[in-house]
This record gives sequence, C-alpha cells and structure tokens, in this order.
Amino acid sequence: MSAQDAWRIFAEATRSLGNPEIDAWKAQGGKVVGFFCSMVPDELFTAAGILPFRMRGTGSTSTELADAYFTPINCTFPRHAFNQALLGEYDFLDGMVCINSCDHVRRVYDNWIQALDTPFVHVMSLPHKVDDPQVGWYHDDIAVLKEKIEGQFGVEITGDRLDEAIRLHNRIRALQKELYQMRRAERPPITGVQALEVMVAGTALPRERYLELLEEVVEEARTAPGVDGYRARLMIVGGELDDPEYVRIIEEQGGLVVTDSTCFGSRLMWEAIDEEDPDPVRSLARYYIQERPSCPRMCGDQPRRLAYVRDLVNEFRVDGVIAERLMFCDQWLVEHYMTGNDLKADGIPFLALDREYILSGTGQLRTRVQAFLEAIKGTSVTIRAGAQSLA
Amino acid sequence: MVLEPVLDECGSCTPAGNGAGRDLGPDELTAGHNGGLTALAAGQNGGGATLTSNRPFGTLVGGLDIGSATGKAVVLGDGEILGSFVLASTANPRQTAQIVMDQAIEEAGLGSLDELDYIVSTGYGRLQIPWANENLSEISCHARGAHWMGPTVRTVIDIGGQDCKVISVSPDGKVLEFVMNDRCAAGTGRFFESMARGLCCGLDGISDLANQGPEPCSISHQCTVFAESEVVTLVNEGVELPNIIAGINRSVASRITSMARRVGVIPEVALTGGCSKNAGLAAALEAKLNLSVVTLPNDPQIAGALGAALFAADKHLAQVA
Repeated sequence: MSAQDAWRIFAEATRSLGNPEIDAWKAQGGKVVGFFCSMVPDELFTAAGILPFRMRGTGSTSTELADAYFTPINCTFPRHAFNQALLGEYDFLDGMVCINSCDHVRRVYDNWIQALDTPFVHVMSLPHKVDDPQVGWYHDDIAVLKEKIEGQFGVEITGDRLDEAIRLHNRIRALQKELYQMRRAERPPITGVQALEVMVAGTALPRERYLELLEEVVEEARTAPGVDGYRARLMIVGGELDDPEYVRIIEEQGGLVVTDSTCFGSRLMWEAIDEEDPDPVRSLARYYIQERPSCPRMCGDQPRRLAYVRDLVNEFRVDGVIAERLMFCDQWLVEHYMTGNDLKADGIPFLALDREYILSGTGQLRTRVQAFLEAIKGTSVTIRAGAQSLA
Repeated sequence: MVLEPVLDECGSCTPAGNGAGRDLGPDELTAGHNGGLTALAAGQNGGGATLTSNRPFGTLVGGLDIGSATGKAVVLGDGEILGSFVLASTANPRQTAQIVMDQAIEEAGLGSLDELDYIVSTGYGRLQIPWANENLSEISCHARGAHWMGPTVRTVIDIGGQDCKVISVSPDGKVLEFVMNDRCAAGTGRFFESMARGLCCGLDGISDLANQGPEPCSISHQCTVFAESEVVTLVNEGVELPNIIAGINRSVASRITSMARRVGVIPEVALTGGCSKNAGLAAALEAKLNLSVVTLPNDPQIAGALGAALFAADKHLAQVA
C-alpha cells in the first residue's frame, strides 16, 4: 500500500457515500452506524466494534424527495443528506444517530423515523453551554447512547475497550494534526483540497484501516517538495464543509488554503481526548463540551473560538480568511459577522461567503474569491479559464 | 454610445432582437436601439473612419465588462476615454464582447482590435474572451473606474443585472472591502425588470422622478418572484402606481443600505452599474443613507469597463517599462 493508493482511497471515499472499504467491512459482518455532526462521540462506536460513518449528502443532485418533509428555507445540508437516505443511498447503515446540533439537523431524526426503517435510530441531546454542569449532562447522555448501542448490537462497551478506542482516535488526531502543521511551511506539502480529502475520509473508513493509510500519506508529506507559486495563504472558517470541489474553486483562483476551522477540518483533531481519566465517558464529555475547539451553536464561547482562529492565522501566516456559511444558518451568520469585525480590526482580510450544500453558483464564487485575492495583493492576480489546481 | 435593453409596450425587458438563447447578427442590433443606429450603420457600410495609419496615441488599451445583462467596452488613449459602447448581452459572451469592443474601437476612430496594446476583461463573461490579455474581478474594476471618474469617491454601490455590491475604496482607489448579494435577484436589475413587468410601466417608468409617489407602499418580500406577486396584488387593490413605484425603489434602497452598513458608508458615495440610471432608486438611496450620491462626470454604467481599461494601461506600461 503506497501513499498514492491512500490518496486514491481518500479521494474516492470523499466523493461518494459508500466506498469499497465499507463494502469489505460489511461483507465480514461488520456494522455501520451513521452520525450527524462532529459533536457525536464516535469513539463509542469504535469501542463497540462498529464503523462510525459521518453523515453527508455527497453525490446528491436534488432535494426533491426530502422537500416533502423540509421547506426551501431549511438548510440544504440535512435536505440533501436526507434525500440521499430516501433514495436508498444510506441503506448500508445499521443505525443512525442524530443530534440537536441545530434545529435543521435535529429534524432529520423526526423525519427519518417516519420515512425509513433503519433498525437503530437515536437522537442525542447536546447542551448549549460549555460549563461544568453541561459536562455532567453530556456525560449522562453519552452513557445513555452507550447503553442503547450495547442493547441494540449485543456488545459490552467496557472501560478498556473505550480506552482503546480513544487511544486509536487520538492517534489519528495526532497524525492529522502533524499533517496540518506541515502546512505552516512556505511550501506546504498538500493543498487545501487534499487536506479536506484526508479529513473527510477519516469519517468514512474503518478507523484502523484509515490510520494505516494516513501513516502513508503523512510519511510521504514529510519529504514532499511542497506547493509553490500561490498568490496568498488562505484559511477557511465555517461549518459543515465536506466538498473538496468547493475548496478547489478557491484554490484555482490562486490562493492556497493552508489551514481551517471547520466541522470536517482542524476542529475535529486539534485537541486530544484525555486518556488518563478512570472514567472514559467522563473524558469524552469533557472533551466534546469543553476541550475541543467549539462551534457557534455553543453559547458564550465566542471569545475562545476567536482566539482559536487568531492563533491559526498567526501560526500558519494566513494572508486572508474566507468564512463560508450554508444559507440560512443563523449560528454561522452571527459568528462570521463577529469574527469578521474582530479580524478586520487585526488587519486580516476577511471574506464571508454564502453557499448551498451542493456546489452551485461557481461563477459568483470565483468572482468573490478573485476580487478578494486582488484586494489582498493589490490587484495583480490573473485568472485563466480552466486553471489547474495547485497540486 | 449606449444601447439600452429594449422595453416592449408591457415593459418586460427583452434583450435586443428578442434574441434570448441565440446569437445576434449585427443587422438585428439596429432594430429598436435609438442611438445605436448611427454607429452600427457606419460599421456596416464599412464607412467607419479608419485612422490606423495615423496613430496619435502612445498607449491604446481596452477594457471589457461582460455582465449578465449588458456588455460594456471602453477604449482609452493615454488615459483619455476615446470610445465606449454598451449593449444588451447576447447569449454568447464572446460575441457580445466582439460587438461592444468593435463599436468602441470605431467610436475611438481606430481601425481594429490589433491597435490596442492591452485588453483586460471583467464581468461574468470575463473568462470567455480569448483575445483579452487578462481578466480581473468586477469589484476591482468598478472601484478603479468609479475612483477615476470621481477621485473623492470612497464608497461605490454597483447595481448590475444580477448582483449588487458595495465596495469600500481607499483614497488611492484600491478595494478595501466589499459585500455582494448572493443567490438572489432582489436588489438587482432583474428585480426592476420583473417589477416593471408587473406594473406594465417599463424601466423608465420606475426610474422617472415624477413617478415617485408621496406614500410609498411597503414591499415586504425581498424575493423577486414573490415581490412581483405582491406588486400585482397592490395593482389590483387599486393602489396608485406612483406609490407602488416609490415602494419598489424604497425596498431595494433599504436592502442595499443594509449591505452598505456592513461595509461602512464613507462619503462620497457613487452609484455605478446599469441601475445607477434609475433616478427613483438613487433618490430613495439618498433618503435612506441620509447623504447625497455624487454625480459622476461619465456614464456610470461603464465604470467596470473603464476600470478594466485603466488596469490594462497599467499592465501595458509595466510591460514596456
């Protein structure tokens, strides 16, 4: 298995829902449970011997079926993901765990249990604050999910198994972070497109298998010549961005994405879960509520999120920040407004973009990014039609 | 030289020659375009003055702005506007570009494209022009063009066919910040075309200051489709047209004002793009922003093409330096 094979597997897993690795897993009798949102502790599934699959709407071209349940002013992410489920694209799932990460995603649960007969469907209750009482709350909710999984799949998630799963996921986080940190270099070893492929694949492949592949990719990156010839170093800040083609359009305009704070990006792995706590469920609760970089749906935590973005801007020598938001997302709307004002005060160029879940309006996207790069670099960027990615 | 989109009697905005979805021949362009006739006739007769042998300018450059609704071209000679042309976009951006540039070249008294030292394209069709040396975003170009027309301008509000943008400009004409509407016709030329259709009054009717009623209706829908239904409802309720028209302009002005406040409104403020010709909108914007919009000495619709030409001149001078 070479790094080239790993890249191919990552690219393939990112651009479809099912993938050959899942097929092989299922053929051996393995179970797969889908989960919405990076706040679901997927270590639990790994500990139960189940493959956790992060829900996406990849490959969707319409929300025709889902729109009988949702409206045009609902977020396009749950609509496309649910549409894929209604089309049978998620039939490989043995279970699905939803969460009230936002009201649009939460409603997938209600619609899912009405429309589909997946054997195991559960909804988690994520608190809205990041203080100690909320750690206790989430601890109890994780314990409930643990019991449900044990009952449904006939497994016992012992403390040892959970410790082992946490160590495996932490090892993945450490390697992903190492790969990210190599992008601080003048010639980063990978593009933003590749970084997103690495991260999305990490939510779609059996984790031990993924770790082997990731090791290949990181090993190759250590000696890679790196990407040159870009016009600006960019950072993407935002939410549910799982589509490398969106990043490709940004990079085709001449800006290299060197880091991010997104739901499939650095926030997944910048911090590690405590491996020492005798109660691993407590470790998980503390990690997800307090320790990992938070998302705007958590109240009162904006200063910490801003500090996280500022640290990355400095660490990766970012020339400009692109803030992406799925249309109608009120969490990110307000967050971007605040972050934009704060970064502008720091003298960091900031561009806020609205998008739909599936790539559309690429002309408008190109215009905005091109103008942004021109403004950063004093109008010296030339864009050719059909420009290739930087990789 | 300006060609406006033709308005049929019901006010719906029809591209020249009803040519949506097909290419336009030069012959068709003459029909219904006041002001375009002379230039086109001259071009067709081959009678356009050809000054190719006697080139009086050190630097000749072109700027193209191929927008969603109109194509614009500007020819600059040593920093002076020698020719410009505006035309409703055809379904083929290359063809639109060719026609407007040919006409601008002719107005400039030049013979052919070959005489231009450098060409920069902008607008939604900017990537489609094989004979342009380079392309730049319309944000940079509108800022540059508006700043050239009015050096004291610090905020540019560009309202085009399919988007509107507010650009904050530095004292030396560089883009500091910009905000654009997204995925929506509200607050754009398409919105006004749609409203003009609902009111059967034409774009001129919406623009006419005499039509700005004293009691503007509240148009609550930002969505073009729903706003048109809302307007039709008002018409059928017997509301006086001028109050509806004033309401339409006020609703767009309100939306643009919100966008402008995101960037921060620093005087002086200039309007560019096709909708800058809507006097009713300009008046409504002045009321909302509580300031006077500066009157530019040149056609504000060509600001993007002019900016592109100014960048082209920079590029050419950098090349020969």
